[in-house]
Amino acid sequence: MLNLLTAEKIKLIRSKKLWIVLSIFALFPIYQVANSRLAVHYGTELNQAVDTVINGATGVLMIEKNGLTILLVMSAFISFFIGEEFQHGTIRNALSLGRSRTQYYLSKLVVASSLTLVGVTLLTLIGMIGYSMVYGFGEVAGIRDYVPFAIKSFSTLYLLILANVSIYVMISFLTNSSGSSLIWSFLYTIGTGFGAGIFQQTEHFKHITFWFTESFLFYSNFAHPADIARFPEMALVSLITILLTSAIGMVKFNSTDIK
Amino acid sequence: MSEVILKATNVSKLYGKHKALDKVSIEIQRGMIYGLIGENGAGKSTFMRTIMGLISFNEGEIELFGETGVRGLQQSRRKMGQSIETPALYPELTARENLRVQAANGGVGNREIESLLQLMNLKDTGKKKVKNFSLGMRQRLAIACTLITNPEFLILDEPTNGLDPAGIVEMREIIVRLVKERGMTVLLSSHLLDELSQVATHYGILHDGKLIRELSKEELARETRQYIELETTEVQKAVVVLDELGIRDYQVINGTDIHIYERLDDVAKINRSLVLAEVNVLRIGTTRQKLEDFFLQLTGGTYRA
Repeated sequence: MLNLLTAEKIKLIRSKKLWIVLSIFALFPIYQVANSRLAVHYGTELNQAVDTVINGATGVLMIEKNGLTILLVMSAFISFFIGEEFQHGTIRNALSLGRSRTQYYLSKLVVASSLTLVGVTLLTLIGMIGYSMVYGFGEVAGIRDYVPFAIKSFSTLYLLILANVSIYVMISFLTNSSGSSLIWSFLYTIGTGFGAGIFQQTEHFKHITFWFTESFLFYSNFAHPADIARFPEMALVSLITILLTSAIGMVKFNSTDIK
Repeated sequence: MSEVILKATNVSKLYGKHKALDKVSIEIQRGMIYGLIGENGAGKSTFMRTIMGLISFNEGEIELFGETGVRGLQQSRRKMGQSIETPALYPELTARENLRVQAANGGVGNREIESLLQLMNLKDTGKKKVKNFSLGMRQRLAIACTLITNPEFLILDEPTNGLDPAGIVEMREIIVRLVKERGMTVLLSSHLLDELSQVATHYGILHDGKLIRELSKEELARETRQYIELETTEVQKAVVVLDELGIRDYQVINGTDIHIYERLDDVAKINRSLVLAEVNVLRIGTTRQKLEDFFLQLTGGTYRA
C-alpha cells in the first residue's frame, strides 16, 4: 500500500490536474471575497442565511458555500485521475506486479481523500483570512464556543464531501473511462443535489432525500442550531455512504477484466 | 529437468458465448523464449492477460513458479514483468519518472533506473515527456519499465508492433540480450511467424482461441526447411535414380512432385543424372516453405494478420 502511495505521489506532483485543482481552491475564495465586496449584496451587509459566509468566523463554512463547486471539481479530477489509468493501460503496470486490487482501490481513495482535505482546508483558510480582512473576524450568531463549533462543522462538511468523493471513486472504477465517469459523476451530483430539492417539497419523500449527503450539503444551514443538532446524523450518513460505496467499488473492481 | 515457470492447463475464457480461449494448455520452462503466434483475435493477448491476472478465466488452472491459488499467483507475479499491447506509460512524465513510478509500484529502489535507460538507449531523453516520444522509444521504455523489478519471467505482447525495420531489429536484439545476460524466460507474441522465428526457441500457434500446435525451433526448422523441388511426369523412374545416387531423405508429395531434403548443393548433378536416365524433368530447383505458408497450412488458410 505504501509503495502504491509513493507511486501516486510521483504521478501527482507532476500532474497538471493537481495544480489546477489546488489553484481553483486557492483562487475561488479570493474571487468570492472580492465579489462580495464589489457586488455589495443586500445593501451594504451580507446575509448569513443567504451568503453563508459573511465574515472571518463564518469563513469556516466555505465548504458549505462552495459545496457544488467542490463536488464538480473533485468529480472531474477523480474521473481523469482514475479513468486515465484505465485508458493509458497504466493500471496494468501495478496490478500485474501482484498488487492486490483492493489495495490499488484504497490507494486511489486515499489520494482522492487527501487531496480533498488539502483542497478544502486551503479553501477554508483562504476564505477565513480573506473575509476577515474585508469584513473582520466577527462571530457566528448564536455560537458561544467558536473553536468546538468550527472543528465540528468543518469535520462534518469534510465528511459530507468525502462521501461524495467515495462515490466518484466508485463510479470511476465501475466505468473504467474518464469520459463516462465524468458524465455519471456529474449526473449523480446534479441529480441527487437538485433532485432532492424537488422531493423535499413532498412530505412522503422528504426523509429519503437525507439518505444522500448532497441534501445536507445543499439544504442545511450549518450555522443554524437545528442543523447543527443534525451533525451526528450527517456524519453517520457520510460514513455509511463511504463504507457502502467502497465495498461495492472494490467488489466490482475485483471482478473487472482489465483491457 | 528445467524448472517450470508457467503451466497453463485447459484455460478457457468466455466473452458471452464466444470462446476467446478454448482449453489452452501451455508449459514454459526456465530459459525459454516462447513465441505465441496467431492472427489478430486468436487469443494471444487474452491468454497473456489471463496469466497476469488482469482478466479472469472460466475454467482451467494456472501455475506460476510452482504456485497456484490467488495468493500464490499474486506472489509469483512479483517475479514477472509485462508489456501487453500498447506501451502503458504516463504521457506527461519523463522516461526517468515513468521508471520511478514503476519502481515504486514494485517496491524496489531507483538504483536500476540509469542502467536501464542506458540499456534501452533512452539515457539522453532528459526532460522530454513521453507524449513526445516516438513509438520505438515508447516500446523501449515500456520494456525498461517491465525490467525495473528485475523479473525472471517477461511477457511481451507484440513488442515490435508499429516499429520500423531498424526498430524491429533493435527490439529483437534487446530480447535476446535479456535472455542471455539476465537469464530471463520470455513469452512473446506476434502475428508474424517470420518475425518470431528470429528470436523464439519454442512456438505455440493459437487459432480461434485454441492452441493448435506447439513446436520447438528445431521442429519448425524441419517443417520449413529448404529442399530441392523436383517436378516430373515419371515419379517412379526418378525415385530409382535418387536411390542410385544414394539419396534417402526425400518425400514423394503427389503424382508429379518430389521434395529432396539432402544434398541441396547438388541440384545440377541430380538433374544430370535424371536426364541421363531419360526421366522427363519438368522443373527442378531449391526452395523453402515460407513460414507464413506453414502457418496458413496449419490454420487452414484463414490468416488475417
